[in-house]
Amino acid sequence: MSDIVLSRPVPVTTEPPLARALLVGLAILFVAIFLFAPLATVFAEALAQGWRGMIAALSLPDAQAAIRMTLSIAVIAVPLNAVFGIAAAWAIAKFDFRGKAFLITLIDLPFSVSPVVAGLMLVLLFGANSSLGVWLMAHDIRIVFAFPGILLATLFVTFPFVARELIPVMIEQGRTEEEAALTLGASGWRTFFTVTLPNIRWALLYGVLLCNARAMGEFGAVAVVSGKIRGETATMPTMVEMFFNEYLSVAAFTLASVLAMLALLTLLLKSLLEWRHADLLAATCRH
Amino acid sequence: MKAALLRAPSPLPGFGLSFGIALAMLSIVVLLPIGALLGRGLMIGPAELWGMVNTRRVWSALALSFRAALIASLFNLVFGLVLAWVLVRYRFWGRRLIDAAVDLPFALPTAVAGIALTALYAPNGPFGQALAPVGLRIAYTETGIWLALVFIGLPFVVRTVQPVIEELDRDIEEASATLGARRSHTLRRVILPTLTPALLTGFALALARSVGEYGSVIFIAGNIPGLTEIAPLLIVIRLEEYNYDAAAAIGIAMLLISFAMLLAINAIQIWSRRRIGLV
Amino acid sequence: MNIELEELAKEFGTERALHPVSLFIPSGALISLLGPSGSGKTTLLRILAGLEFPTSGRVRFDGADATGLSVQDRRAGFVFQHYALFRHMTVFENVAYGLRARPRRERPTEAEIGRRVTRLLDLIQLPDIGARYPNQLSGGQRQRVALARALAIEPRMLLLDEPFGALDARVRKELRQGLREIHDNTGLTTVFVTHDQEEAMELADLVVVMSMGRIEQVGKPAEIRARPATEFVRTFTAV
Ligand SMILES: Nc1ncnc2c1ncn2[C@@H]1O[C@H](COP(=O)(O)OP(=O)(O)O)[C@@H](O)[C@H]1O
Ligand SMILES: [Mg+2]
Repeated sequence: MSDIVLSRPVPVTTEPPLARALLVGLAILFVAIFLFAPLATVFAEALAQGWRGMIAALSLPDAQAAIRMTLSIAVIAVPLNAVFGIAAAWAIAKFDFRGKAFLITLIDLPFSVSPVVAGLMLVLLFGANSSLGVWLMAHDIRIVFAFPGILLATLFVTFPFVARELIPVMIEQGRTEEEAALTLGASGWRTFFTVTLPNIRWALLYGVLLCNARAMGEFGAVAVVSGKIRGETATMPTMVEMFFNEYLSVAAFTLASVLAMLALLTLLLKSLLEWRHADLLAATCRH
Repeated sequence: MKAALLRAPSPLPGFGLSFGIALAMLSIVVLLPIGALLGRGLMIGPAELWGMVNTRRVWSALALSFRAALIASLFNLVFGLVLAWVLVRYRFWGRRLIDAAVDLPFALPTAVAGIALTALYAPNGPFGQALAPVGLRIAYTETGIWLALVFIGLPFVVRTVQPVIEELDRDIEEASATLGARRSHTLRRVILPTLTPALLTGFALALARSVGEYGSVIFIAGNIPGLTEIAPLLIVIRLEEYNYDAAAAIGIAMLLISFAMLLAINAIQIWSRRRIGLV
Repeated sequence: MNIELEELAKEFGTERALHPVSLFIPSGALISLLGPSGSGKTTLLRILAGLEFPTSGRVRFDGADATGLSVQDRRAGFVFQHYALFRHMTVFENVAYGLRARPRRERPTEAEIGRRVTRLLDLIQLPDIGARYPNQLSGGQRQRVALARALAIEPRMLLLDEPFGALDARVRKELRQGLREIHDNTGLTTVFVTHDQEEAMELADLVVVMSMGRIEQVGKPAEIRARPATEFVRTFTAV
């Protein structure tokens, strides 16, 4: 038997060193090709004519209008989404009522609807070809091809983000802390602001972060409802498309690199939240 | 008020308000638009709808969207598993960076991904030039569509499987080894079956997302009708032609595909929970 | 098969889980590793199984050096503290696992596997649960299935880590008796870990008392009761 004795035994619950090296190499190669290469391309193409090219691109009126548009949309859509998320999570996590599972399914629904179909829905609802659209037009209210349409499209695609983060966290935290606050004489709002909100603040921030990234980056739904009118309804992503299709590569990639910086900032903050407050976030996130 | 009757009594306040806000926003933002699409479908009538969907161009667009999503999601199934495994089980330089980068497709706007991939793989781009001598053309072909969808779907499998790998009980793997199983046998017969529900869920989520994907695909796709024209693009084209009924017909077809996949995801989760008590 | 430990030591980083310990376990004995939590019992048992490797020292099976022998080649029937049953397999598949994991040349036919599993399920007195999944069993049933699964590979020794730790008192008493019978029928050298001195004294032929990574005393239960070698043994085994 002594002939099978190994000099340096391998740990039992891992793969042989060669297999491990191979898998790590494969993973790094995969991430490099599929994630890092496109990201690097954005900045490389933006800098094709140096910093001057980028600065010139950013001072184009269309680019500036698009940045303003995207910021205005996010400033309104994200807080609305947060209010919805908190309200939905409060109702779902703190109360038992019939149809709860169905409600959760409905909240998740926008994740599985194509953004283009979402835009199409809004066009069919408010567009000139619908009876509601005709009525709106008669009263000079513009929704499609205007700010409200873009806002609604953004709200649709970002709808589940905050709620999805908060619901599992609030369910796990249960109701006892709120009940304790109430027995101590706190009012409902006081209980919410002094007990509930501090408990969910990191999860809320996490959801808001993801929601914001999507709100600023949404393309398909916004492209359909906005009509992509330059200087008026074009957002940063739709402006990227228009510049790109007009072969204004530096302008397209400059605007794209601003969005990419935003994405990197989002990832950085997200990672920080996950490392620091992992215990206060939902165990899994899918979007 | 009706909702109040249907719920269990609770000392906590604010049910009416929170439920009201949630339901109102859900109705305005999600349900009303979906209703508008389905209502439009009813007005058009099933026979007409079928007539508009049942054309060569629509079928090939739907088939392309589904096929490309399927291929890309299968690819992500394999590499997502490898990536999740490596990230949880191995310690190597740059692990945290890669872990954070996996979410890039969630954070990067799809249009940005689209133009970046196009610039990379176009015949004059760095990857395009490198692949040309081998006779591989990626941009403006179906391969380009797969590539964009691999990018978009990448995080889904990783992020659904990763927590399950973290929770795996080392005892199980050790038990398998004490019973004489080699590592490869343990991986295949013990670990893989335990991960299967999460893998299927991640796969289905990636598939659902990729079928309807638009922004990252249209730049690299070439958009030739019948060949590289995806279903969402066809909707956009119909809308630009003011052909709202045809757009609605394709939209309804895609919505039905989405609902079917949502049902599949739920069925997987119920099945796996029943079978092994895992999510 | 007898087992011999020669100056066996184990360190985790800077922490010493086992100081050099030596021990001879005669063939066919039923012995107990007894000690408080953290005394190194599990570590010692895992080294015997090949799940952990000693920092220094040797393990011999029937005199042959087995220190570096891989876990797969040791054929140690190991029962885990929390059973570690495969949740996605039925009881039948769990018990058959070790036979099916063998290389093709040594693997019994399916019919033979079926016969052996049936025999083992009879042995643990649960003949009718082959088609069930682990989460459909009680704690005591799971423990017995884990035992059957370990026995299926025709092990050379039986190692059990706190086998009755997670069970209520009544079931524990029953299963103790069951383990004694299985040991007597198979004649396997058996080592079980416990922190319950009553359990050790009642069940084992030989008790090894451990504390802080050292063996304090080895002896028959009556000897340990009558002549505790150290102050620690005296207080720990006092009823
Ligand atoms: N994998 C490990 N890594 C680090 N320390 C360990 C490990 N396993 C056990 N130890 C340490 O070794 C000592 C003995 O542990 P163990 O053998 O599990 O004791 P027992 O089973 O008697 O409770 C303890 O101090 C424990 O913290
Ligand atoms: Mg122990």
